[in-house]
Amino acid sequence: MIKFEHVGLRYGVGPEVLSDIDFTLEPGSFHFLTGPSGAGKTSLMSLMYLGRKPTRGLVTMFGRSINKMERPQLSAIRQRIGVVFQEFRLLPHLSAFDNVALPLRILGRPEKEIRSNVTELLEWVGLGDHKMMLPPTMSGGQQQRTAIARAVIARPKLLLADEPTGNLDDEIGFRLMTLFEQLNRMGTTIVIATHSQTIMDQFGHPRLVLEHGGLRVEEPKNWIRRKIEGVF
Amino acid sequence: MNILNSLFRTKDKQLGVAERGRRYDLPLNKSAGTGFLILLVALMTFLAVMALGASFTLGEMAQRWASGLENRLTVEIPAEITGGALRSPSDIAYLSEKTAEALKADPAVETVEIMGEADVQALISPWLGEDLSFEGLPLPGLISVKMRIGTPEAIERLRHTLKGINQDIHLDAHESWLKDLLRLTGALKFAAAAITLIIALTTIAAIAGAVRSRMAEHKADVELLHLMGASDLYITRQFQRHALILALRGALAGTAAGGLALLLIGLSAGNGGDTGLLPNLHLGTKHVLTLILLPCAACLIASLAARFTVLRVLALMP
Repeated sequence: MIKFEHVGLRYGVGPEVLSDIDFTLEPGSFHFLTGPSGAGKTSLMSLMYLGRKPTRGLVTMFGRSINKMERPQLSAIRQRIGVVFQEFRLLPHLSAFDNVALPLRILGRPEKEIRSNVTELLEWVGLGDHKMMLPPTMSGGQQQRTAIARAVIARPKLLLADEPTGNLDDEIGFRLMTLFEQLNRMGTTIVIATHSQTIMDQFGHPRLVLEHGGLRVEEPKNWIRRKIEGVF
Repeated sequence: MNILNSLFRTKDKQLGVAERGRRYDLPLNKSAGTGFLILLVALMTFLAVMALGASFTLGEMAQRWASGLENRLTVEIPAEITGGALRSPSDIAYLSEKTAEALKADPAVETVEIMGEADVQALISPWLGEDLSFEGLPLPGLISVKMRIGTPEAIERLRHTLKGINQDIHLDAHESWLKDLLRLTGALKFAAAAITLIIALTTIAAIAGAVRSRMAEHKADVELLHLMGASDLYITRQFQRHALILALRGALAGTAAGGLALLLIGLSAGNGGDTGLLPNLHLGTKHVLTLILLPCAACLIASLAARFTVLRVLALMP
C-alpha cells in the first residue's frame, strides 16, 4: 500500500525534519503514528497524502512510485486517500453537507447518490440536524466530525487522520474510532497520528514512532496478545 | 415572494445557515473586485464596438468608392484651349461627338454617354452654389465611359486615341485620387483593427490578473481541493465559469451601450449628404451581427484567459 525508502524531507535550506524514513504499510493495516511534538508527524502525514514531495528517497503508493508520476495520475491517487487534517480545513463558505459532499462531487458521483450518502453519514456522526450549518458557526467537535465525515464519505483505500479525536469528548471519540475500525475491516488502510496513549492502548494497533527525525515500528504487547487470541 | 425569500436567506446567513443554491466550491462570486471587473469588460467591449463600427463604416465607404468607379472613365473636353482662349459650345459639342465615336470604336469600351449641359451643371452646382446663374459660364464637355476591361493597357490606348483627336482632351481614370483615398481608409481600418486587438489583449491581461488575485485569495481552499484529488480541470472549470459569467455580464452591457452610441451617431450624421462621398453611418446586417457576436468573443477570451492562468498556477503545486 505505502512504501517509504530512505525518504528525507527538508523545508527550504533548513535541516532535514525527516531522515531516512523506511517503512511499509500493508493493505488493510491499521497504524498509529506517534511521537513527541515537533517530531515530524504532520510532515510525514503530508508526504503520505501527497501534499509534499520528498527531498530524497523513494515513495511507492498503491504499488506505483510517485516520484515521477504525472499530475493526472497523482490526482487519481489522491482521490483514493481520505485525510482528516489537524486543523480540519473545512471550506468556511460551504455548509456541513456540501463540505462532506465535496469528495463525491470531485469523483463526479450523481447528485441523488450524494444526497442520500451524505445525509446518512451526517446523521451517523450526530450532525443530522446541523447539515446546513456553516463551519465558522460550528463548535470544534462539530467541525471535527464534519472533517472526519468528509474524509470517509468516498470510502478511501487509505485514511490518514491527524489527531482526529483531539476536540471530541470520550463517547464521540470512541464512536469515531469504532468507525475507523469498521472501515479498516472493510479493507481501508488506516494511519492515525495521535498523542493519546489511552486511545493507542485501547485499540492496540502497531505504532509508527517518530523520534529525532527517524522512525521505528512498535508492536504493542496487547496487540500481539489479541492477534494470538484471534481477535483480528 | 422573492423579497421574502431574500429576507429569509439574509436571516439564515446571520444564523450561519448556508444558502441552498450551491454554485461554486470556491466563493468566487463573493470576491472583492467582481463589480470592477464587470465594469472593465463593459468598457473594453464598448470601445471594441466603437472601433469595429468605425472599421466597418470605413470599409463600406471604400467599397462604395471602388465599386462605383471601377471600370469607369471620364473624358473631359476643356472649355479653355491651351493658351487661354475659350472654346465655343459648338466646338465642344463637335469634339464630344468625335471623341464619343472614337471611343465606341474601341473594343475595350462598353458604353459611352455624352453628358448634357444640364447634367454638367448639376455636377458643378454643389461646388459653386445653387443660386449661381450658369449664363455665360464656360462649361467643359464631359463624356462618361464604361469599360469592358479596365486594364492599364486599354486605358493608355484610349488616351493615345484621344490625343490624336485633340491635345487638350483629358481622360480621367480616377485612379490617382482613388488610390490615395483607399490607402487612407486602409490605414484607418488597420488602426481600428489594432485598437480592437489591444482591447482584447488588455481584457486578457485584466482577466488573468483578476484570476491570479482570486487564486491568491482562496489559496488554502484551492490547495485543499487539490489535495482531495480534484483534477486541474475540475478546479479550472470553476474559475472559467466565474470569468465567463463576469465577462458575459460586462460584454452585454458594453455591447448594448456601444450599439446605442453607434445608433445615435448614425441618426445625428444622417445619410452622409447628397454627394455620395461621405459614408452612410448605418451599418449593414452582416456588421450588426458581427457586433452582436462580440459578447461571445469576450466570453471566449475571458474563459480561455482564466483557464490558462489557473493551469499555470496549479502547475506549481506538487
